[in-house]
Amino acid sequence: MSGTLALAKAEISRLRRNKRYLIFTVALPVMFYLIFGKQKSTGYDVSFAAFYMVGMAAFGAFSGAFNNNTIRISQERKDGWIRQLRLTPLPASAYVVAKILASMVTTVPSIVIVFLLGHFYGDVHMPIWKWVVCALAIWIGTLIFAALAVALGYKLDPDSVQPVTIVVFFFFSIFGGLWFPLSGALQKFGEFTPTYQIVKITTDVIGHGTAAVGNVVGIGVWLVIFVALATFAVRSTAETV
Amino acid sequence: MNQYGTASGVARSGGSATGYAAEPGYGTSYGAGHGSAPVVKFENVSKHYGSLKAVDGLNLDLRSGETVALLGPNGAGKSTSLDMLLALRKPTSGKIEMFGSDPYHAVKSGRVGAMLQSGGLMPEVTVRELVTLVTNLHPKPEPIDLTLKRAGIDKFADQRVDRLSGGQTQRVRFALAICGKSELIVLDEPTTAMDVETRRLFWESMKAEVAEGRTLLFATHYLEEADQAADRILVINRGRLLADGTPAEIKAKAGARRITFHLDQVDEQFLLGLPALVNLEVRRDFVQIQTSDSDATLYGVLDAGLRPRDIEVTGLGLEQAFLAITAEDDAAADGSAQAGETI
Repeated sequence: MSGTLALAKAEISRLRRNKRYLIFTVALPVMFYLIFGKQKSTGYDVSFAAFYMVGMAAFGAFSGAFNNNTIRISQERKDGWIRQLRLTPLPASAYVVAKILASMVTTVPSIVIVFLLGHFYGDVHMPIWKWVVCALAIWIGTLIFAALAVALGYKLDPDSVQPVTIVVFFFFSIFGGLWFPLSGALQKFGEFTPTYQIVKITTDVIGHGTAAVGNVVGIGVWLVIFVALATFAVRSTAETV
Repeated sequence: MNQYGTASGVARSGGSATGYAAEPGYGTSYGAGHGSAPVVKFENVSKHYGSLKAVDGLNLDLRSGETVALLGPNGAGKSTSLDMLLALRKPTSGKIEMFGSDPYHAVKSGRVGAMLQSGGLMPEVTVRELVTLVTNLHPKPEPIDLTLKRAGIDKFADQRVDRLSGGQTQRVRFALAICGKSELIVLDEPTTAMDVETRRLFWESMKAEVAEGRTLLFATHYLEEADQAADRILVINRGRLLADGTPAEIKAKAGARRITFHLDQVDEQFLLGLPALVNLEVRRDFVQIQTSDSDATLYGVLDAGLRPRDIEVTGLGLEQAFLAITAEDDAAADGSAQAGETI
């Protein structure tokens, strides 16, 4: 395990140096929040400032765990870095575990920064336990997308992973209602996305302190599906990695 | 031009290769990796991709302290064999053992250091950071500065990995193979992308590694390299072991000397019957013979009362020996279709 942690540490220090990563996970959500966060409307029965805070935190965490990982994993597989690691005493799962750990760690700042912005700039006030539950819900959501990133990164080569990543990213952002609250037919459709479920759980908690069981179960189901996909992708490519 | 050939030398070498496992050392305990116990053992190992037999019933074993070259043309099955040895691929059939355990556990125990052609590096970090990371994964790490120096990468240790030249990258990969105190080092075409001087330095530092008692297995198609660096050569072609011996033995097996002379009234039938003859070419009065024992062949000519002129006896390099072995194997395998492309 110590080897896996050493690898995760190296991954984190790589991410910290990566400007593109910082722009997508921190700079963009912050910028969007500063521009759109103070609208005088509501989203899912909470103030827009509160809705947009969790939406942007989820957006930053999602792009950090997903966009960045799909492309890197695919490229590192092609370059042979995964192969090189398999020649070391590290356990076979280390690469994937380290990637997911690194994503989990590096998305914490983006969630915290957007939440601080929501409190001090967007005037969002709520008891401390609600802050913690919201942050945790988004953070666990990160895990779902890190797993999906592993599945796509292992299965697709660098040329095709880029467009697929963009399509998946926009699909889950728009139909999950990260940028604007969903209503009507769009909401009926979007309810099934993990991004919607995360935003709904957090806004429910902010609004009335509870969350719908369906959404919590939904997150669990997505996690199981994406972890299974990731496991399948890693196993099925074992001979070509 | 007339050309005659007997495949006998090669057929014999193939036979002796598969008979190798019967030699002393086989069957003794080999848990410790010392003495003559095999460090690596392939037992009838095959790897098929659909109808393609990349490796086809390979038998071999390596003993502790040996420097062994796996020599073969492109597509001979060298990389696939090493991939299976390092647990990157699973054999279709047969069994591989390393230090008496299966390849995966042997690799994970840190007793093997390896460098593959297809191995890549983590980008966005410096050379030193990368070497430090991989070194720390080893149960018995070497000092990092020593590894950097041995691999000849200490001068650019603070450069970023993704900004190195091909030769520099290759040396960093080598550093990753030697950064732990491994008992076996496996290198797949280690000097590709290196210039002559770098290659010389590489083998110098490699000899220092081997002098510490490590076993070295490297794949190459540079025949000179196998000749100079290895004390044992395994020639493989079409996924099979064709010959196994010292560089001198390999040369001898393929008829590694050439006799040329001029002779009036050439009797080809007589010349074909000469002892130790491997190959005969006749151009009017010019005779060229490839032989595994130049003395015996030449005495045969003289004993018959012939008095050839301008006699020259030259030793063939390993290259010709190698080409002779693989070319005859290809010809024997399926006629002519693929014989040309492997040369």
